[in-house]
This record gives sequence, C-alpha cells and structure tokens, in this order.
Amino acid sequence: MMEVSNMAGRRALKAVLIDLSGTLHVEETAVPGAQDALNRLREASVAVKFVTNTTKESKKHLLERLHRLNFDLQEEEIFTSLSAARTLLEQKRHRPLLLVEDSALQDFTGIETSEPNAVVIGLAPEQFNYQTLNKAFRLVLDGAPLIAIHKARYYKRRDGLALGPGPFVAALEYATDRNAIVVGKPEKSFFAEALSNLGCNPNEAVMIGDDARDDVGGAQNAGMLGILVRTGKYREGDERKIHPSPHLTCESFPEAVEHILKNML
Amino acid sequence: MADTDWPGCARSLKGVILDMCGVLYDSGEGDGVAIPGSIEAVKRLKASDLQLRFCTNETQAARETFVAKLQRLGFDILVSEVFSPAPAAAAVLKERGLRPHLLVYDGLLPEFDSVDQSNPNCVVIGDAAEKFTYQNLNEAFRVLTDLEKPLLFSLGQGRYYKETDGLKLDVGAYMKALEYACDLKAEVVGKPSPTFFQSVLNDMGLQPHEALMIGDDLVNDVGGAQRCGMRGVQVRTGKYRSVGSFNLPKINMSPYWPPLGHGCSYWLVKPSMSVCEQPKFPLLRCHLVLWLNLCFYNR
Repeated sequence: MMEVSNMAGRRALKAVLIDLSGTLHVEETAVPGAQDALNRLREASVAVKFVTNTTKESKKHLLERLHRLNFDLQEEEIFTSLSAARTLLEQKRHRPLLLVEDSALQDFTGIETSEPNAVVIGLAPEQFNYQTLNKAFRLVLDGAPLIAIHKARYYKRRDGLALGPGPFVAALEYATDRNAIVVGKPEKSFFAEALSNLGCNPNEAVMIGDDARDDVGGAQNAGMLGILVRTGKYREGDERKIHPSPHLTCESFPEAVEHILKNML
Repeated sequence: MADTDWPGCARSLKGVILDMCGVLYDSGEGDGVAIPGSIEAVKRLKASDLQLRFCTNETQAARETFVAKLQRLGFDILVSEVFSPAPAAAAVLKERGLRPHLLVYDGLLPEFDSVDQSNPNCVVIGDAAEKFTYQNLNEAFRVLTDLEKPLLFSLGQGRYYKETDGLKLDVGAYMKALEYACDLKAEVVGKPSPTFFQSVLNDMGLQPHEALMIGDDLVNDVGGAQRCGMRGVQVRTGKYRSVGSFNLPKINMSPYWPPLGHGCSYWLVKPSMSVCEQPKFPLLRCHLVLWLNLCFYNR
C-alpha cells in the first residue's frame, strides 16, 4: 500500500526563515518560550535566518534588542528589507529621498542623497506628514522611481494597530499613476536573496511568521512552505485570506518549532 | 438623435456647469488668484440664455466661505448656485442614520453641525491638508477596523490639485491609503459620482445632453460628466498637464469650424480610450474664454 505523505515532492528541510517582530517578540517583550525554541531548532541540522520588513531600525538596533531579550543570534543571520533596498539603490546608482526613521538611516550611510532622483519609503510616521508626502509626490510625478521597502498595511504596537508604509505607498501610486518597486516581503526576490547564501532551494525551506499575506503568502509563492503563528498582528481568520492556505497555523513560534522537529526533518 | 459635431451641440445647449478651482481661479495664499478672463467669461454666461451652476469638490471650507472668497475676487456667484460634496454627504449620512468620525479641514466642520457625531459608525474624509497627519489617519483607520461593517465616505477622489506654490495631494490619495489599509472600497460623494451630477441637473431641470461640464480634471470633471450623458470641455489651466498619461489623438478640423486662438485645438476622444467610457461627443480643449467665443459664434 502506498502512503502519500503531505511532504511528497519536497526534499528534506535545510533552512528555516524566521520573522522577528510579532513572531519572536512584540516590541520589548519576547514571545514566551521563544528563546528555548530557537535553541532547540539550532540543535537540529538546519540553517536559520532572521528576515524582517522592520524598517524603523538598523541591523545593529535589531540585534541589540534581541540580545536584550536573550535570543541567541549573530548580525550576519539577519536579512532586512532595508538591506534589499540598499542593494537596489547601489545597483541603479539612485540618489534617494529617504522616508525612513532616523534610526534606520545607519543602513544607508555612504549613499548620496543630495538632489534626489528616487524616493524610498519605509515605516516613518514622523515623515508621513502632508509637506513631506507632497515633496515625495512631486518627485515621483516628475519621473523619480518609487521604491517601497515593503507595503505592510499595518503592524501591532503596544497601544493597538498602527498604519504601515503600505497605505502611503498606495496613496502615492494612485496620485502619480505609477507603480512602486517593492523590495521587501512578500516579493519573491526578497525570499530568494534571503536563501541565496544558505545553499538551498525554496522547496527545502520553511518560513515562520505572523503576517498571513507578507510572511506566509509571500514565502509559499516563492516555493517555500509557510507556518502562520497567532501572535503579533495576527487576527482571527487571517489564514483564510491567502491561497493556498498556510501549510500550518499554530499558536506561536515554540509550537511551530515543535512541528518542524517532529514532522519536517 | 443629438448632434455630435460642435456647431450642432452649441445650438441644443441649455445649461453649463463650471468647475471652480483650476477653471475660475487658482488657490493659494489668501484668496488665491483669478485666472485671467474667467470673471468676464462668467459674466457673459450669466448674460446669455444658458443656465449656469458651479460644481466643486472644494472641501477645505464651507460654501459660504469660499463663495465669499470668489465674490471678493470679482466673480458674480451665489451660494445657491454652488454644489459641493459636504452638504451632499451630510444629507446622505442623515438619510442612512450614520454617525461620522470626521477627518476634514477645520473650515468644513460647520457643514456637519446638524449631523450626530457621537459614537461614530462610519468615517468621512475630505481634503484635510495639514490635518492629514499620521496620528489623524491612524485614528480614522482604528475607527474603521473596530467597526463590524466598516464604511468610508470620501468627499471626492481627486489625485492632486494645483495651488500657487505647486501641486498637492488631494483627498483621493488619502482615500486610497485607508482603502488599502482596511481592504475596503470607499463611497465617493461629489465629482465624479453620477448621483452628484444628477442633483445639479435636477436643480436646473435639464436632461444630461442639454448640459455641458467645463473642468480642468479629465477624469473627475469631464469623464464623470460624460458618463452621465453630458458633454465635456477640458481647460488647459489649473491641474491640466500637457505631459501626462492621457495622450489623445488630434483630429483634422472641419473646414467650417472657426479657428480658435493661439494654443487651442480640437481633440476627438475615441471609444477605446480607457479614461472616458463611451464618449458620445467630441472633447474640446481650450481656454474658457475662447471656448465661449466659439459657443456664441455658433448660436
């Protein structure tokens, strides 16, 4: 009798991509049990990489916070959409108007910003005021490329949900009748670049995250499997918003790791 | 069968609807600036046998305030002749028992004085300009996401408009931001909603084909009017840009059509254009004053 496993056609798991904000922690609070779960994952023979659309903080900032919360990881294991944006700016030699938080500017040192001929939008509440958005609008209307670090609709803050950069990118796209180039999740290029130095194909990797569309949908669209966790910005019913639905939906990161260790190696 | 060429069109015309910002004046510091020739053009229209109404998506000020501003600039215009989105929206809210969370310019608030705003069950956005802060947009977003049936009204859907110190984002851009954030579609009150144009036609007692809309916005003024069966004229003032996504083919002028002034030509909108659906009549682009010369020449 032939048993068809639901992993048919998949090779053994070689890499796990893990979202940060909302999955391992929410602001300054770690998800309970997440530190131990990460250590258990490292004991198995899989590569681990931390991927994030967080645009408010540079890699150093992120690392410092994660170390404060007792997570074991190195700077080289972090891949952010800011890194992806920088790569694009360097390739095309653009001079950007940077709508990013001050704390993220560190990741753009060395890039020329005078007489901007491109607009880069990240999560920057301080910059999403009428005057600055008008400035960005006029540049794009006159032909400057619009580069979105990502298009998240909203994210979870301590005081509730808050608008992400996505709505402001949508506003500029509508006003200028142009499309933004998106470099972060859920773009395929982002996941491909994250896996590029791990020596594995997408079908040998799984993504764990709290954002159904950007984490799980994006990863599955890139050929990976996706696990949706019910922490962070997750809202009831999110798993029904993507097709195909997540490979697994579970309570939090520790449960996701348990599932991987039991069923996917 | 209505005439589709201009000499015939001009003869059956009974009413004109004028957009205001970008046609009559450019907004900016103080009262703004009247566009040369427009005051005179309005006087000529009023002296003719054509009915005249003004239609605007102005949502930074209540009607009384911006009509007073235009009167100061020298225009012959009355509040009763002006149609704008805020009063239309207030009527819709009362009709449907809705209580709005308002994200509008302070100057517009008086238009909603008679509307119950406690315990909001919908959001209304207008051209809030500097009030479009991250905090205010976030608040509107949270009201919507907390509602079982999120409902967003947008006073217009314009992409941008021109002020004397440059182009600025209009309410439509912020409407799209909230639509994207909440995964919903806004209801638009004002141009180019057919209900809005119809209310103006009803007030004039005219059929659509008897009326002409003149505006600077191809989609919201001309496109919206044409979809109701009215005729449209786009003027090359205000937000009109000669380099844009709307490239319309020129046509050869019939020999008997009178020449317009320098810088004017005729364009024919073909049915394949995505901007205006099923245009029935030719579009004429020119300065408002020169168009009037054509209109009166043919009557």
